[in-house]
Amino acid sequence: MTDLISIFEYQFFRHAMAAAVLTSILAAMIGTYIVSRKIVFISGGITHASFGGIGMAFYMGLNPFFGAAVFAVLTALGIEWISFKGKVREDSAIAILWSLGMAMGIIFVFLTPGYTPDLMSFLFGSILSVGITELQLLLLFCVFMALFYMIFYRPLVYSAFDPEFSKVMGIPVAFYRYLMAVFIALAIVISIRTVGIILVLSLFTIPQITAMLFTRSFARIIPLAALWGITGSVAGLFAAYFFDIPTGASMIFLLTLQFLIIRGVFLIRSLLIRRVS
Amino acid sequence: MSTPLVKLEKVSTGYDSKAVLRDVSLEIHPDDFIGVIGPNGGGKTTLVKVILGILPPFKGKVRFPSGKPKTGYLPQASQIDRTFPINVKELVSSGLKAPKGWFPHLSRKQRQKVNRMLEEAGLENLASKPIGDLSGGQLQKAFLCRALINQPQLLILDEPNTYVDKNFEQELYAWLKKLSPDKAIMLISHDIGTITPMVKSIACVNGGLHYHPSNQLTEEVMKVYNCPVDVIAHGPIPHRVLKTHDS
Repeated sequence: MTDLISIFEYQFFRHAMAAAVLTSILAAMIGTYIVSRKIVFISGGITHASFGGIGMAFYMGLNPFFGAAVFAVLTALGIEWISFKGKVREDSAIAILWSLGMAMGIIFVFLTPGYTPDLMSFLFGSILSVGITELQLLLLFCVFMALFYMIFYRPLVYSAFDPEFSKVMGIPVAFYRYLMAVFIALAIVISIRTVGIILVLSLFTIPQITAMLFTRSFARIIPLAALWGITGSVAGLFAAYFFDIPTGASMIFLLTLQFLIIRGVFLIRSLLIRRVS
Repeated sequence: MSTPLVKLEKVSTGYDSKAVLRDVSLEIHPDDFIGVIGPNGGGKTTLVKVILGILPPFKGKVRFPSGKPKTGYLPQASQIDRTFPINVKELVSSGLKAPKGWFPHLSRKQRQKVNRMLEEAGLENLASKPIGDLSGGQLQKAFLCRALINQPQLLILDEPNTYVDKNFEQELYAWLKKLSPDKAIMLISHDIGTITPMVKSIACVNGGLHYHPSNQLTEEVMKVYNCPVDVIAHGPIPHRVLKTHDS
């Protein structure tokens, strides 16, 4: 128990806790849109394409997060454009952008003279080195997204659910879709810090799938996903500390474990009910 | 003759510059009840989309002589993602436009209107159910509520009788009959037998459009325009659809 309290004396751990909580809240909002619209694969494409931006930024001596953001936003807009036009097979286009981004990232990192120490932290996350500026940025983005969802809930959800009817109702469907594509890209890039490129997508999907065991209303999925995201990722953070394992992987593992346990409880309950009746 | 709500003038349209409809002309008047029939892939839904403005015409014009009419639309069941996390009340609410302003939420009056609509349809107990939990009939009813809630002048229904049981179908048609005097209705169906007794005119869509200003189809018409439809009606009262013209 004293161990548990004593780790809070470390500033890096307090920062990591805050980052886990804030990232979970952000991922709950954005991830609910992703899961509802069934664009998980698109988001995977955006995530991996951003690695190209990271590599390029390394090579040019710029801030890698800036590079990732530019690549992610461009990829997101590109994919949304392709899906609107519907002329190219969307899934193939995503796969191309996905691997092209990774390839460019690897090439640029290889060309960059000297050792690139941060590379692993982008792939696997580095929540234990999150600074105060990054936390402030996360908080700002969370508040902004919460306000945006509260104000534009109707057009946002309706244009995701039935774009054609929404168009008939005069909702600027294309505008909302492109705007959300940009928000998804930025949210992913900002979350890469926590769990890394390889694992970030699960932060945007596992808590949602867990929440959807309890409710299937868009507005209620968000707070529940935030709750399950926070419990899972904070548990993962502690597990990482006590068992001395990588934090990103530990968080995702516990999020999945949490989902499986709750799913199991639901399954047993429904079996028992069937037996009684 | 009244001013038409919608006027299609030699419209050609389709997808990816491949025309599905060619040189289609049609007028929809305020008291029309048009049954749209035709084979699969003949362009029935494409016709709906060009009227609704979802699809732009390649050639020709879609005109609204007395301004764009308020339109209610029930999409084909296959176009809907039934797993989307949205409940019945939210679905019906999406048929209303929020008052203009920075905060696009429904007014109290509009929310009451949604509740009344749900009661009228007998869906009030399902209001907070996700649409994935509804039966085919209940779901189509909810979609019909969404199409009707804004009191449209033009109601377009794209195959409302798919995935529904016969009971619901009868209820749906009774509802449409009640509505038909005060709005223009366009009903798309592959089951010509059930719709012909209700509609006032028939449009046969198969690449082109042939307008038949009565609800009686001749064999010649169906042959010429290649509308292979079910000619035996299965209603509560057996009736024949095929008749020869008097003139």
